Amino acid sequence: MSTETETGVQGMTITREAPPTDHFGGELLTVNFGPQHPSTHGVLRLIVTLDGELIRGIRPVIGYLHTGIEKQMEALRWQQAVVVTDRHDYLSPLHNNLAYALAVERLLGVEAPPRAQALRVIMCELNRISSHCLWLGTSSLELGAMSMFMYCLRERDTVLAMNEEISGYRMHTSYIRPGGVMADATERFWEMLADFVEKMPGHVDEYENLLTNNPIWRRRTVGIGYLSVEDAIRLGATGPMIRGSGKPWDLRKTMPYSGYEKYDFEVAVESAGDCYARYLCRIKEFRESVRILKQAMASIPDGPFNVDDRKLLPPPREELETSMEAVIHHFKLFTEGYSVPPGDVYAAVESPRGEHGCYVVSDGTHKPRRVKFRAASFVNLQALEFMALGSMIADMIAIIGTADTVLGDVDR
Amino acid sequence: MSKARTRPHASHEHVLDEGVSAGDRWITVKREGIAETLRALQAEGYQSFLFMSAVDHLATPVRPEPPERFELIYQLRNLEAREELRVRVWVPEDDPVAPTASEVYAPAGWDERETWDLFGIRFDGHKDLVRILMPDDWEGHPLRRDFPVGGEVVDFSEDHEVWQTAPEKA
Repeated sequence: MSTETETGVQGMTITREAPPTDHFGGELLTVNFGPQHPSTHGVLRLIVTLDGELIRGIRPVIGYLHTGIEKQMEALRWQQAVVVTDRHDYLSPLHNNLAYALAVERLLGVEAPPRAQALRVIMCELNRISSHCLWLGTSSLELGAMSMFMYCLRERDTVLAMNEEISGYRMHTSYIRPGGVMADATERFWEMLADFVEKMPGHVDEYENLLTNNPIWRRRTVGIGYLSVEDAIRLGATGPMIRGSGKPWDLRKTMPYSGYEKYDFEVAVESAGDCYARYLCRIKEFRESVRILKQAMASIPDGPFNVDDRKLLPPPREELETSMEAVIHHFKLFTEGYSVPPGDVYAAVESPRGEHGCYVVSDGTHKPRRVKFRAASFVNLQALEFMALGSMIADMIAIIGTADTVLGDVDR
Repeated sequence: MSKARTRPHASHEHVLDEGVSAGDRWITVKREGIAETLRALQAEGYQSFLFMSAVDHLATPVRPEPPERFELIYQLRNLEAREELRVRVWVPEDDPVAPTASEVYAPAGWDERETWDLFGIRFDGHKDLVRILMPDDWEGHPLRRDFPVGGEVVDFSEDHEVWQTAPEKA
């Protein structure tokens, strides 16, 4: 028993068949953790069975943030439902928009024009940076690195200001829509973006100076929460969880969408499979995102940012004053909306947390029959139970932190 | 498209139908053979289980009409060949039960709990089939089409005794 306890800190040797008594032959302790706990990134409740400080069992209880988003979408028209997609994984609204837009576009059989695709890539990569900033800030805060939060939120705020510049909204942008994007980027946006890609690599160096070789950070993350690549695949883990275990699976590279195949970037992959490897993966992704942003800025094509289809998107404002047909289209779109041919489709994008998919069923009417989100956090959270068994309860914080679950995404 | 390159699964004994929807390949499988088919597909290389869920086809305007009210969807992926496959199972309204897939694919455990919670479809052999998103004492299954939007009682509101939308009007 004692040898098992020794290696248990590495996360793997203690199995579920452990005896129901604790180390000294006494009863195991069951404690309630959450739902209102600052380290759970939302409202996650865990029922933890403890042997001293070792975890013998975890039962996540979720649903505290369930807002019935999939149900609400069935009551909204296709173009209205975009607004709801923003709100379930509230840290990566652009990726949620994109998955939904790609699914609807595939059902409609339209493809966004090249400029819209490039704008989508730019906004998604900015979103990835802002999401990783918040992740790095909060999860290092939980492990005691207080000042990280200030540094990371500084860059996140820059990205939110860019969101506001391009879409008028800081967080829930609803920027990407079926058929294209909401608006073209302004001159000021390009200036902000040029400034940002110039400065961001230096900021990532700052983060690395504070954490990568920090002895306390390493003691809290190296060897903690080990997940082998076979288990990662078996448990359906995606994103930095599977890449941190050594599988270079990134949908942007392996099953490209929205023109990602045009950009030259590397998939961030680490082989250690622990919390530190997942941290390194995300740090690499910061740099790769900046690389993609630079290329996308330099190569953005001219042209329309929406498909030229009056049945799908409203006509430009100036046409309404001269064209009767434009008024009719406008009226039809905002009273009835457009209909989508019957069928079902699954479209997936690589969100900061992993594979974010959107499964859409249309029955041919102007509202979706069913929208199902394949939430990366929901699946990754199931791996938590597996990763944390046999580790210390304090390490569970590091494991939850580096799994980067967003409870709005888990509960939808 | 590369998606139609291989089609080994058409030979499974439980497969009823196959096709392509908006570029996604799918097969329909007999309800009792779902776990067996998934096991065979897993051995064929579909290691990754993306999600499973259900669709309620109550009063659908689609013609020809779907054979049953509920449809279960299992989305699988072959990581090496980079192919996806959707497996469909029809589940009748009066007997909403299907065999569990959680023995084959681990992530199906929570997905089946969610499907039970939101659609009221039970999974035979699931070890822990309890509600996951809704409260334990919830009545009804919210994602069924006959469950009204805004149909829940709002706690701590002045008219908390009344329904926001009467079920018959939704």
